[in-house]
Amino acid sequence: MGRYLRSLREFWSSSLAIELEYPANALIELLSVLGNLAGSVVVLALFYGRGHGLGGWSWDEALVVLGIYTLLDGFTSTLLQPNLGAIVNHVRTGSLDFVLLKPIDSQFWLSARSFSPWGLPGVLAGLALIVLAARRAGANPSLLTLLGTTLLLLCSALILYSLWFVLAATSIWFVKVWNATEVLRSTLVAGRFPVSAYPPALRTLFTLVLPVAFLTTVPAEAILGRATIPWMLASLGMAMVSLGLSRGLWRHALRYYTSASS
Amino acid sequence: MNRTLRLARVLLSVQYAYMLEYRAEIALWALSGLLPLIMLALWSGAAAAADLSLSPAELSRYFLAAFVVRQFTVVWVIHVFEEDALQGRLSPYLLQPLHPFWRYLAAHIAEQATRVPFVLAIVLAVWLLGAGASGWPPPSTWLLGLLVIHLAFLLRFLLQSVITMACFWSERAAALDRLLLIPYLFLSGLVAPLEAFPPGLRRLAAATPFPSMVDFPARLLSGGEVDLLGGLATLAAWMALLLPLYLLLWRAGLRRYAAMGA
Amino acid sequence: MAIIRARGLGKCFRVADKQPGLGGTLRHFFARRLKDIPAVKDVSFTIESGEVVGFLGANGAGKTTTLKMLTGLIEPSAGEVEVAGYRPFRRQAAFLRTITLVMGQKQQLIWDLPPLDSLRVNAAVYGISEAEARRRIDELAEMLELGEELRRPVRKLSLGQRMKAELLAALLHRPSVLFLDEPTLGLDVNAQVRVREFLADYNRRTGATVLLTSHYMGDITALCQRVLLIHQGQLFYDGSLQELTQQLAPYREVCCDLGAVYPPEAFRGFGELESLAGHRVRLLVSRDQLTGTISRLLLTFPVLDLEVNDPPVEEIIGRLFREGAVA
Repeated sequence: MGRYLRSLREFWSSSLAIELEYPANALIELLSVLGNLAGSVVVLALFYGRGHGLGGWSWDEALVVLGIYTLLDGFTSTLLQPNLGAIVNHVRTGSLDFVLLKPIDSQFWLSARSFSPWGLPGVLAGLALIVLAARRAGANPSLLTLLGTTLLLLCSALILYSLWFVLAATSIWFVKVWNATEVLRSTLVAGRFPVSAYPPALRTLFTLVLPVAFLTTVPAEAILGRATIPWMLASLGMAMVSLGLSRGLWRHALRYYTSASS
Repeated sequence: MNRTLRLARVLLSVQYAYMLEYRAEIALWALSGLLPLIMLALWSGAAAAADLSLSPAELSRYFLAAFVVRQFTVVWVIHVFEEDALQGRLSPYLLQPLHPFWRYLAAHIAEQATRVPFVLAIVLAVWLLGAGASGWPPPSTWLLGLLVIHLAFLLRFLLQSVITMACFWSERAAALDRLLLIPYLFLSGLVAPLEAFPPGLRRLAAATPFPSMVDFPARLLSGGEVDLLGGLATLAAWMALLLPLYLLLWRAGLRRYAAMGA
Repeated sequence: MAIIRARGLGKCFRVADKQPGLGGTLRHFFARRLKDIPAVKDVSFTIESGEVVGFLGANGAGKTTTLKMLTGLIEPSAGEVEVAGYRPFRRQAAFLRTITLVMGQKQQLIWDLPPLDSLRVNAAVYGISEAEARRRIDELAEMLELGEELRRPVRKLSLGQRMKAELLAALLHRPSVLFLDEPTLGLDVNAQVRVREFLADYNRRTGATVLLTSHYMGDITALCQRVLLIHQGQLFYDGSLQELTQQLAPYREVCCDLGAVYPPEAFRGFGELESLAGHRVRLLVSRDQLTGTISRLLLTFPVLDLEVNDPPVEEIIGRLFREGAVA
């Protein structure tokens, strides 16, 4: 355990050192977070013009969902994108060889090796929006509610991570799927809006197949004090299952790894 | 002339063979452009849709058309160029008696050809689900629409090519493109028909090249009312602005490239 | 004690079979044809602890595939392999701490940062304490003649410096089995010699077992007492380098400086003419006729100087693969 923590520290301090070589990125990423947030708010406002509602959610409640989406998007840029996006390159160039020969869990290495500080503005902006909008929506969360929300957000992060990892791991078979994770990212855009805003068929799809509902809507319900035990359990179950799936798939995939020759 | 035709034929067929090798990835990519359909699902259930002058059928035709337009105007030249420049593949290209611009353009056209079956399958699926089932314009408009899609693609290709020139000055020029993607996403008409925008925002959008890339061709293709000549003139004007800019930057960039001894 | 044991080792790869051109592309699109290519067939050998063994073979002969099976990167499709008492493919942490793999054409150092940062990461991953890591880095850096290079970003290092830093990173955890795949690829002669000397020194000091492939025969002749020769996926020879050359080349090279210039025809009957440049002639003479031929040479020509050598190994191996002389 200690070895893993120490490795993590070295991983992240070295990636921080790399990222700081490109300071201009900070500005670009900040602009990109703000631009995306502003755009999303404007689009959301289109739906709420002239006193209309969306899926039974008030304007402020919908902003909580958007806040959670922004938070998760920041998490994606901080950890998922830099790490899991690199798996395909590892497979393509054969540098996965070095990872596999390290006496450390290869899934851990591949998932935690890099850390990009440029996703943090998104995380912060998301948190700020959640707090602000939840307040305005009249939420007055108890300590228990806050704990529950944190747990659900953790589940969201785990589900999101597992989805990404599963897709990235398929590059062992389909070396060239270097943008499969982009597909995921673009489809998860649906999570900017409460899942009840979609037609029933899509709602089912977004709950069972592509668990967008668990990513943003369920935690948002929780902080607004509307969480129900079945949904919380479902979210927890979903997180465990997808994490288990990602581990199982990775083990299975390695049997097919042929290692790029030369 | 003969040589040009032969060159075009060989370039396109080789690029097509190359792209077919990536067909799984391209299919996924086609899936990653689902945003207009997600927005269609939202708008079809949103109360705010009642304020639009478009009927529900017109709205679903519009988004389906926007989906098709988006599929055939995807541009990724900046990523390829950045990689070619960093990996040193650009130098041999520069020694060949063919401007690399054409090589990249051929790759894009070949990629679009590979995309056709996947896009057709998605459109058919959506159509069978009942969206945009009726009221399509006559085939003559379709042909015109196809032409306009290609012009829209050219404009987007040109715009990104201009941004691409930043690769000569920075190692992370692709980040710039991510910034450019934000106004494209929100102002082009991908997330909502422009008439849903408040007047001020609409005027802002009209001052950018983005509506020409989605709103104009999608409106034309879906049989909506368009100012055909005005739209074409706008497209032409933006291209007339960007092309000299591109050539200028290309020359300056090459001088820098040569000076760096790459 | 045998540290590497391979028995009946084999590996098949399934690859797509596509004809060139658009027609081939389309056919391939609709009906992918797959072929099973045997890369390695029934290879058996054992290596004793502390040995330095060269792994020879032409491109595509199956060297790298075998190396990857030995390190556990790929799973053998047939046979058994055991390294330091472990099954490589299970990749247990204890096994991974015992071995290392250096690949001349791949790198593990972080491109944008100085090697020291990568070394810190490796130390953490292998669970080496910081003080111990510093000690080992100092020791290895001295052997490798690396100094302030360790503090410069990897992208600013020369190929030779980078390779030495790669070696340092690969040896930080004191592996006792070293797998080296083309460790001197692309290096200039000086750097090659430096790397060779270091490897010999490391082997002497630590008693580590080394298995190395190289295109440069110099690496093999300088380091390896024993070679494995692999040809078309099969083990073709296992033994000392000297015996291999004798077996493959039952002749020696006779090199004379003559007092006058002669036409090539003059040397008919004196073995095979290898080269003739002015006063200097090189002849390949079979071993059993060596003494007779030399005395006739001395009688026939005004010989100023005469030398008898083993023909260069590159020459022999190259000839072997060119002529496909392997039965």
